[in-house]
Amino acid sequence: MKEFTYTIQDPQGMHARPAGKIAAIAQSYPGRVTLWKGEEGVDVKKLLPLIGTNLKQGDTVIIRVEGENEEQAASSMEAAFKENI
Amino acid sequence: MALDYAKCAAEIWATLGGKDNVATAAHCATRLRLAIVDIDKVDLKALENVEGVQGVFSSNGQLQAIIGTGTVNHVYDEFLKVSGLTAATKDDVKAAAAASQPLPKRMVKTLGDVFVPILPAIVASGLMMGIVEALGKAIPGFAATPWYQFLDMAANTAFAYLPVIVAVSAARVFGGNIFLGAVMGLMMIHSNLTNGWNAANGYKVWYMLGKGIHFGNYYLGQINVLGYQGHVIPVIIAIWVMCKLEKWLHDHVPAVLDLFITPLTTVILTALLTFMAIGPIFSTLETYVLTGAKWLITVGYGVGAAAMGAIYPVTVVMGLHHMYNVIEAGLLASKDFGNLNIWMPIASAANFAQFGACLAVGIKTKSSKRRAIAVPSSLSAALGITEPAIFGVNLRLMKPFVFGMIGGAAGALVGEWMGLGATAYGVTGIPGFLTINKPVQYCILLAVAGGIAFALTFTLWHEDPDDWDKPAAEELPAPTTVAIKTEKGDVVQPVNGTIVPASKIPDPMFAAETMGPSVGIEPTDGNVYAPFDGTVQMVFPTNHAVGLLSDDGVEVLIHVGVDTVNMEGEGFAGFVTQGDKVTKGQKLLTFDRSAIKDAGYSDTVVLIVTNKDAVGKIDKAA
Repeated sequence: MKEFTYTIQDPQGMHARPAGKIAAIAQSYPGRVTLWKGEEGVDVKKLLPLIGTNLKQGDTVIIRVEGENEEQAASSMEAAFKENI
Repeated sequence: MALDYAKCAAEIWATLGGKDNVATAAHCATRLRLAIVDIDKVDLKALENVEGVQGVFSSNGQLQAIIGTGTVNHVYDEFLKVSGLTAATKDDVKAAAAASQPLPKRMVKTLGDVFVPILPAIVASGLMMGIVEALGKAIPGFAATPWYQFLDMAANTAFAYLPVIVAVSAARVFGGNIFLGAVMGLMMIHSNLTNGWNAANGYKVWYMLGKGIHFGNYYLGQINVLGYQGHVIPVIIAIWVMCKLEKWLHDHVPAVLDLFITPLTTVILTALLTFMAIGPIFSTLETYVLTGAKWLITVGYGVGAAAMGAIYPVTVVMGLHHMYNVIEAGLLASKDFGNLNIWMPIASAANFAQFGACLAVGIKTKSSKRRAIAVPSSLSAALGITEPAIFGVNLRLMKPFVFGMIGGAAGALVGEWMGLGATAYGVTGIPGFLTINKPVQYCILLAVAGGIAFALTFTLWHEDPDDWDKPAAEELPAPTTVAIKTEKGDVVQPVNGTIVPASKIPDPMFAAETMGPSVGIEPTDGNVYAPFDGTVQMVFPTNHAVGLLSDDGVEVLIHVGVDTVNMEGEGFAGFVTQGDKVTKGQKLLTFDRSAIKDAGYSDTVVLIVTNKDAVGKIDKAA
């Protein structure tokens, strides 16, 4: 399992656009991708729960990637986050 | 949203024409009351437009701004701070306003101050007399019964002894001792004098200074042994003199001797002056005034009455109408004039016409604010209190006021033809039925006055379209066309409008259907309805998007507009929260299409099925 920490940069937080992009990218990976805010976790592949996290600018979260090629998947996910949110 | 009191006060202050233009400031339950030196220096339009000021009018040197209960006191406190004025009472303001008026106006106001407080007595008597008359006509033989004798006596007391009532009231107004005033009034109708109403039967004369100097039939210093029953003006003048005398004596007599010297001297001197000079001169003058009034009313088959009916509301605006009470009281008290107030029909016609005009405005208006003022004001005018109708509605719109003048003229003319008159003053309009001598004919007068004013106003007054209520946005019903079909159930379009293919959505991510199979809806109104029965999964905090799961397992995201998250909720309202169960067609959100346009974003609504792998074959309407 690979994980990385990320702090939300986007002033509007987790809204439709970044969520849509990130969920789509996660969906293209066969393994599991989860996002954790404190004790609460959501499946990043599921759009509505991802938006429902209501993440705001400045929130720090942990993203966990499990499965084949998880290293590469994790760096792709991190890039996706950096680019979109 | 609470009013910014300081801002309101500052804005009001800015319109008033400077510190030297405001004499005093006070407030009552709803209004700011300002005594203004020169009303022309006040920017009335700007004052009306100040936020918090609901209405403005000025009369008799007093400027009133209607602000509202609970708010005006705060605005007043701020007003004192910004203006540097000190608090004054309502009476101070009234007095300051009055003092800034020219002398004739002050005199007219004084007459009002004398006659208004005694209204209850006059009205009671007048109503009783009306009832007794009515009973006398309705019940044959009633006039012979002891009941009639008793009620008649009770009813005409106020008029029989009017000089005393007037004297007491005047003494209070002029600042003298009211009991000395009572003494003077009683003296003027003393039973030792021949009753003034019986003057025609002859009376004695006391030649106080002998029969030396004389001018024709008039001997210097003579006193007619005749009472002043039925006279009003001589009484007021006499009391005014008495009060001046009393004040002078108070100021100049040593305190120790004041009780003995002042009242005695006051009474003796006033009595002599009254019976030797004031009385004869002013009762003659009064007779001329009343004769003049009667002439005016009856001349030219009522043309004079019509003219008076027309200008009556103008005199109300100028505050001159208080002087009519003198004429009316005089007519009532005087046998020569049949003890009938023939002025009242004119006033009634004028007032009821203002009612008619105001009611027409209230019915024809397309402004709910104006209707809310006009209808109650018109009813008040129908009862005889015309200030709300005149100042609140008719005068502002001008045409209704003028039509009211025309209606008043017509009604007064008709009233004079029919010989209408009342047994009291102070009662006009509908309550006038109790004091009028001919109720049926009175109906005609009211119908003519009110009817003409109403008809003219209703047909010829046209409201400024700027005043119309803005039409409320039309509420279309929830749509029923299916936008996306799935094997697990249908998704109806959530918003009224045209369904367009995703590729037409003005955003690359949505157009690429990144989040799932999508369609766009170009909306025709701003309501988002549930596209199926289901549960709310989440609502964006900014209310511009909502995610739902249908009872059959279809998950959708409805997103209003593109990049509308940047509006941070402005123009959006949400009606459901996460976890709510909703039924198809239930309102979920509303959005303001013009706000979205103003912000520069597209308002196309995007409907996305977000769990395509779980719902089988998907068919989109576009």
